[in-house]
Formats: sequence, structure tokens, C-alpha cells
Amino acid sequence: MSLSPQSDASAIAPATIVPSPARLAVRLDWLGVLPFLLFALLFLLLPTGCLLVGAFQDAQGHFTLANLSHLLEGNVLAAYRISLEVSAVSAAVGAVAGFALAWAVVQGGLPAWIRPSLLTFSGVAANFAGVPLAFAFLCTLGRTGLVTMLLHRYAGIDPYASGFSLLSFHGLVLTYLYFQIPLMVLIVTPALEGLRQEWREASDSLGGTALHYWLHVALPVLAPSVLGASLLLFANAFGAVATAYALTGSSLNIVTILLFAQIRGDVLHDPNLGYALALGMILITGLSSAGYLWLSARAHRRQA
Amino acid sequence: MQRTRWNAVMAAVAALGAVGAGAARADAPAALVAAARAEGQLTVIALPHDWCGYGDLIAGFKAKYGLKVNELNPDAGSGDEVEAIKANKGNKGPQAPDVIDVGLSFGPQAREAGLLQPYKVSTWNSIPASAKDAAGYWYGDYYGVLAFEVNTDLVSKVPTDWSDLLKPEYKNAVALAGDPRTANQAIQGVYAAGLSQAHGNAANAAAAGLKFFAALNKAGNFVPVIGKAASLAQGTTPIIVRWDYNALADRDTLKGNPKVTVVVPKTGVVAGVYVQGISAYAPHPNAAKLWMEYLYSDEGQVGWLKGYCHPSRFADLAARHKVPAALLAKLPAAASYKNAVFPTLEQQEAYKAAITKQWDQVVGANVK
Amino acid sequence: MKPASRVGAWLAIATGSLYFLLPLFATFEFSLRMRREAYSVEAYRVVLTDPGFQSAFAYSVLMALLTVVASIALVVPTACWIELKLPRLRALVEFITLLPLVIPAIIIVFGYLRLYNSSSILPLTGNARATDLLLVCSYVTLSLPYMYRSVHSGLRAIDVRTLCEASESLGARWSTTLMRVVAPALKSAIMSGAFLTFAVVIGEFTMASLLDRPAFGPYLQLIGANRAYEPSALAIIAFLVTWAVMGLIQVVTRNAGGAGARRRTPGA
Repeated sequence: MSLSPQSDASAIAPATIVPSPARLAVRLDWLGVLPFLLFALLFLLLPTGCLLVGAFQDAQGHFTLANLSHLLEGNVLAAYRISLEVSAVSAAVGAVAGFALAWAVVQGGLPAWIRPSLLTFSGVAANFAGVPLAFAFLCTLGRTGLVTMLLHRYAGIDPYASGFSLLSFHGLVLTYLYFQIPLMVLIVTPALEGLRQEWREASDSLGGTALHYWLHVALPVLAPSVLGASLLLFANAFGAVATAYALTGSSLNIVTILLFAQIRGDVLHDPNLGYALALGMILITGLSSAGYLWLSARAHRRQA
Repeated sequence: MQRTRWNAVMAAVAALGAVGAGAARADAPAALVAAARAEGQLTVIALPHDWCGYGDLIAGFKAKYGLKVNELNPDAGSGDEVEAIKANKGNKGPQAPDVIDVGLSFGPQAREAGLLQPYKVSTWNSIPASAKDAAGYWYGDYYGVLAFEVNTDLVSKVPTDWSDLLKPEYKNAVALAGDPRTANQAIQGVYAAGLSQAHGNAANAAAAGLKFFAALNKAGNFVPVIGKAASLAQGTTPIIVRWDYNALADRDTLKGNPKVTVVVPKTGVVAGVYVQGISAYAPHPNAAKLWMEYLYSDEGQVGWLKGYCHPSRFADLAARHKVPAALLAKLPAAASYKNAVFPTLEQQEAYKAAITKQWDQVVGANVK
Repeated sequence: MKPASRVGAWLAIATGSLYFLLPLFATFEFSLRMRREAYSVEAYRVVLTDPGFQSAFAYSVLMALLTVVASIALVVPTACWIELKLPRLRALVEFITLLPLVIPAIIIVFGYLRLYNSSSILPLTGNARATDLLLVCSYVTLSLPYMYRSVHSGLRAIDVRTLCEASESLGARWSTTLMRVVAPALKSAIMSGAFLTFAVVIGEFTMASLLDRPAFGPYLQLIGANRAYEPSALAIIAFLVTWAVMGLIQVVTRNAGGAGARRRTPGA
């Protein structure tokens, strides 16, 4: 078993695995992903496409680019910007904190019962979002929240006097972390389990410090998983709406709330603009995905 | 439309209603009931059980006619309901809504998009003309006015008018029941505040309302959280600007824990009208028509009143003494509703556009 | 095990526990306040004695289990195949799996209603069982990001190429390789994905509500929408019960696959 982490699949041509003639092999290989592609087509791409084509239509169904031009308006761009900021910050902090927790539980030498408890808890917490989460944080760190009152009564500290507010950008990020960190923990734990003890021992025996181990052995192995998980966290926060609406609804303008306003419209009701907003979100996700692929390809090139 | 004109219309209608009283009291025609029973079910959307007493109304309908009622998405907004009709155009299954209950401006919109079918209930004549479509595509069902829902465990001095809210004793206390960029209740709240500040001048009300909330926010009295029963009880939003029927329903469900007082402000009383319509693609049109007959019968109208919503045939019912006295006693005093303003469709379009566009800049509750 | 890292590990766990448990405790404390005079479990009594609770929860658990099985069956072979034979498609597949996170569920479900309604080629909304099938497919779609990312992360950690080559050189067919070599090695990753999928399905609201199925999400909305204390009680109950079911799943699978799974955690 070689010491180097498994090589990138793209470095080896498919033909070396399948013995039959290359062209036939490639065509047969496509059959392997057919179920997935068919499923995605039937239950994701077609239904979405059939509505998002409305991004290019007006209320009467005629073709128009007006919706897309609305996307360049000041308040829409501001909404996208704030969404991106919240998503990026919560993904970054969530990735670091989640990684730390996952490492603690896999490599930290803790009692055996902590790991399954943390993993099952993370499974539930990763989906604990929306109004219940927002309310839970209001109950904890809101102005009349439990922790706020306890700090005030027993420690004499008034967090709100020193400028903290749950109903702000930072408060929203703090709330988002509640489902971001568990998501990271769940995805990165299997990858951390793949780190072999022998690699650490080999690194130590060759005179490397902990820093050497992390920089040259562990992180390169974990990079694809960590990057991929971070991308997932980013997209997860980007698409979230219920928590933000319940917590900072009237103050922070994020694009998902704007989208819902147009589609659900109690007031404004321009679903075509809503579809255009959704299209913009998909574009941004595509760009982030491309960015992630570029980063992970670079990481592989460096280690090869 | 001003209250006095509304009163005149109601009086005229009450007179008409007295003439047609016999027809108004009749039960739904047997043929319709039989056709509805043959269809077997009704699909409704966006009807939370605590809103205007819909829980009891649905249960009453089920018990009276033995039909099954599919309740889709009670959390839906008016736009959701219209989108649901559009998405289900070819669908005869239980996911296609038969009837919708939407804000006033959505009625004409849905009719224009060809999503509604006309139907005039047997009590049609006692519905005020200003609250229905002449051809019968949509018809007003109930209205309510914006009021202050106050948690009196946390707020000792109850505000009586909009200007009171700016006082320093209401620091971190006042919230809207929605996002003013997206929710009808919240936008009407801003407009109502503006109407009060502009002394009834409808044209300036939107700008005045935005200025009022900017001042409220600057003084530190405004809480940018969506106000709900839970946040009222927990203490984050001790004062919420809400439809009176929602506030009164909250008061009942909270059962005194915390103690809630509902106050209709002295000035700037804005009424919001909702309308009913039958989907043009309804899979169960007869059940839908029967539902309408039920809602517009005396029984249905009193059912809405039990949920604290003023039904559109209220004047007719009052004239014929069909409203139980005990129920009348539970409603806020009729005097509070004397000054209620019913914005026209054009006025609504104008101030909705203004408030949704300018909320972020003028109020600047955007905290980073 | 170096003592410094163990202290660090305990610190991480302690901070994490504080962050995650405090909001739950605050919600619980609020839910006990239904009676004015003193703490009581009145809110819980109201919620648990409601007849709809058990049937809605049971329905959602069944849907969740079906979704987990379907999702694993769809994603694991696909992820392995992409990793081994079609790495050029990886970008496309990953992008597709991220889409359910950013496309609002309401757009997807309106799309279903237009495409699969009773008058289309594939009438899935006609009867209850077919609608259940559509609902499971929608849940699989919603959980694609989590399941795929988990499995992919796990594949990266094991040397799947060598395993597959070894298995093939010993004469195993692709299906045998998948089920008896790769899947057990991926067990931890699959479990992570399964937990996430399970939680997603239990709490899901939009799809179930608009497809008119009696799931737990719509039930929660109906009961808790305009109340004060009941939603908090419901949130706590839902959290605890989902956690318990997941713990059960973990115990069952651990006992079932106990012999094959080798733990690589040092010092554990």
C-alpha cells in the first residue's frame, strides 16, 4: 500500500480499467449514469425548466428580456450581495468549526459513545432550520432571551449594551451555523476516518512535526472532501430563506426573500421576476461549482 | 372609499336585504347538494384553522354535507394560491384548489388571467356592490382593520394611537406582522401609520408612513422581527401591528398567558378586504359552489364573525338581528370601526409600489 | 494519544455542546411556560394527545425510510461509476446535485404538478399511491446534495480504485463488487447521508402540503402556526423523536454490519 494519497481519477484514462475497445467502452460507460441522469431529468431538470422558462416571459407569455434586466437593479444586486456574504461567511466559519468538531471526535481520543451521539445529533440539527431555529435563538440570545437575562442577572454583562444584536448580519450568521456545522461534521467525518494511523507514524518517524503532517499529508488528502463540503455549505446557506425571514425579515434584504416575495406574493406578484431571480441563483451556484472544481484540480496537481 | 359612503351603501343594501330576506335565509338548493355529494370532496388552500375561525367552518361544512375537505398549504400567501391554480390546470387530482381566498387586488388579477369562474350565491344581493365583481367572478368575504396587539404583562401603558408608539416607554417593543416588502399585513400597517400622520390625506400616506417607521426605528422602538403569537408571548415583540381578527384570535388561544389587549387606533384605521373565488379549473365545481353557499349563508357569515372577521353581509345580518348578542359583546366596540378607511384598488397599487420599493432606504432597518 | 490534543478535543466538544444545547434548552424552557402560575407540561399534553400526531409521524417515517433506500440505490452506484469510469462527468453531476439547494421547493413541486398531473402522459397525481411515489421521488431529489456529497467524500477517503481492481481481478461482477466490497467500506459515509436524508424528509413541508399528502411537516404547520407554546413543544418533540429514530437506525446497522466494518480510528 503506497504512502501517497489516492491519485486523482482523471490522471488515469478509463481505458486502462475496461479491457474492451475504447469507443464501445465509453458508450457503455454512459449507460452506468443513465439511471441518475434520467432521474435528474424527470424529477429535477424538466420540472424546474418548465417553470424557469418563465424568466424569459412576461405575464402574458411573450418572450422578453425585461425580467433579466430587472436583475441589475440596485436593490436586487444588493440582495444578491448580502446573500453571498452571509453564505460565504457561514460556510467558512461552519467549515472550520465543523472540521474541528469532526477531528475532535475521530482523532481526539474521546470516549466511544460521543461519536455516534454527535453524528446522530448532527443529522437532526443539520435540518433544524426555519422558524423553530429562529425562535430558539430569539429565546436564547434575543433581547429577552434566557442567556441574555442570565448574563445580565448573574454576571452583570449586558451584551446588547455593548452593541451586540441577534437581529443583524452577525446574528444571522450565528444562527445559520446551527445547521452548517452539523452538515460539515457529517460529511467530513468519513474522510477523517480515512486518515491512516500509519501515515502519522511514518511522518513522525521521518522527523516531521505535527505541522508537517497536517500541511503535507493530512490536508492534501482531505482537501477534496473539505472543499466539496464547503461548497455544499455555501449552497445550503444561499438557498435558505425561512430562517432569515423569521429572524431578520424586515431588515436584511436577501435574494431568497425577494424571490419568495414575487412568487408567493401577498403583495407584489411578478412570478416571472421570481423565476429570473432563481435563474440568477442557479448561475451563481454554477460559478461556485466551477470555482470549486478549479480549486480541487489545483490541489491535485500540486500533490501529483 | 370613506366610511360615510360605505355606510350609505350598507344602508341601501340592508334595505334590499330586508326585501330579499326570504331568499337569503334559504338553504342551498337540493340539486347542488346532490351534485356536490357525487363529487365527494373539496380542495381548499391557504386556510389556517385560527384565521377567521376557518377551523370551525371547515368542520361544520364537513359535518353538514358529509364531504371530504383537502386542505393544501395553510401557510400560502395570495400569490401562492393563484400560482397553485395555474400549476394545476390539467390536474383533476386532490392537489388542484377548487376555491381561493385572496387579497382584494388579486381578485381582478386572477379574473384577467382566466383563472376564475363566475358564480353568484343565493345571497348575492346582500353583498355590497363595492366588494364584489359585477359579473360574479370574485366577491368580498370579510374584512378587518389594523389594530395593536399588546402584551400587557410586559407593557404597562397601552398605546391608543400611532403617535403613542414613538414614546420612549415603548423601546424595543413595536413590530409588524410581516415583512413590509412582501406581506400585505405589514404594508397596510405602514400605510395606516402614514394615514394617521398625514391626517387622512391618502396621497401622502405612503411617504408619511415610511417616515414614521424611520423615526420609530431611529428611536429604537422598532423591532425588525416578524411578530407572531410566540414572539409576543416570549417578549421579543410585545406590541404587534396586526389585523384585529388575528390579534383577537391570539388573545383567545393564549388564554391570558400572557394577558393581551387589542386596541384599534384612534386615527389611521385601515380595513383590508379579502375575496373568494372559484377556480376555472376546479375538479369539483359543484362542491366549490356548495362551499360558497355555505360561507355566504347566515351560518357561514356568523362563523366568520366568531373568528372576529367582519363578514361582508354584516349589515344585512345586523339588520335582521341574526348576530348573537354574546358574540357582539366579544368584538371591539363598533365605534372603533366608524373611521375605517377602505383603500381602493388604485390607491393600493400606488402605495404598495411606493412602500415596497423604498422601505430599505427610508427606514434603513438594514443593520450590518 | 497526546494529552494536548485530547484537551483540545474536549474543549471543542464542550464548546460545541454549549452552542447546540443552549438554544434547545431555551426553547424547552419556553414551552414549559404554557401555564401562567408555574412550569408545566401542558403544551406537551396538548400536542401529544392530538390524534393526528402519531399517524402523521408514522407516515413521514415510512416515507423517510423509503427515500433513504431509494437514494442510496441511486447515488452510491452513480458516484462510484463517475469516480472510476467517467471522471469527466463529475463536474456536471456535482452541479446537478447542488441544484436542489438553490431551487426553491415550491418551483419544483409546481413543475411536478404541471408535468405529472392527471391529464399528462405520466399521471402520477391521480391516486394516492402514485402520489406517494411522486413524493418519494421529490424527497430523493431534495436529499441528493447531502447523499451525494457524503458518498463522494467517503469515496475519496477509501482507495476505491484499488479495491475495485482487486475485486475484478478476483472475478467479481460489478454488482458484487459494489455490494460486498465498496458499500461496506463506505458504510460511515452512507450512514451520514442516510441521517441527513431522514431528517430532511421528516421536516419537509412544501412538497407534502402541495401534493396533499398527510405528512408530518404539514401537520406541524397546522397545529403550530398561530400558537405560542405548542410550536416550541412540537419542535422539541420532533427533535427528540427524530434523534431517537436515528439512534435506532445506527444501532441496527451497526449490529447488522458489525463483522465487516473495520474501525480505523486510532486509540478508540
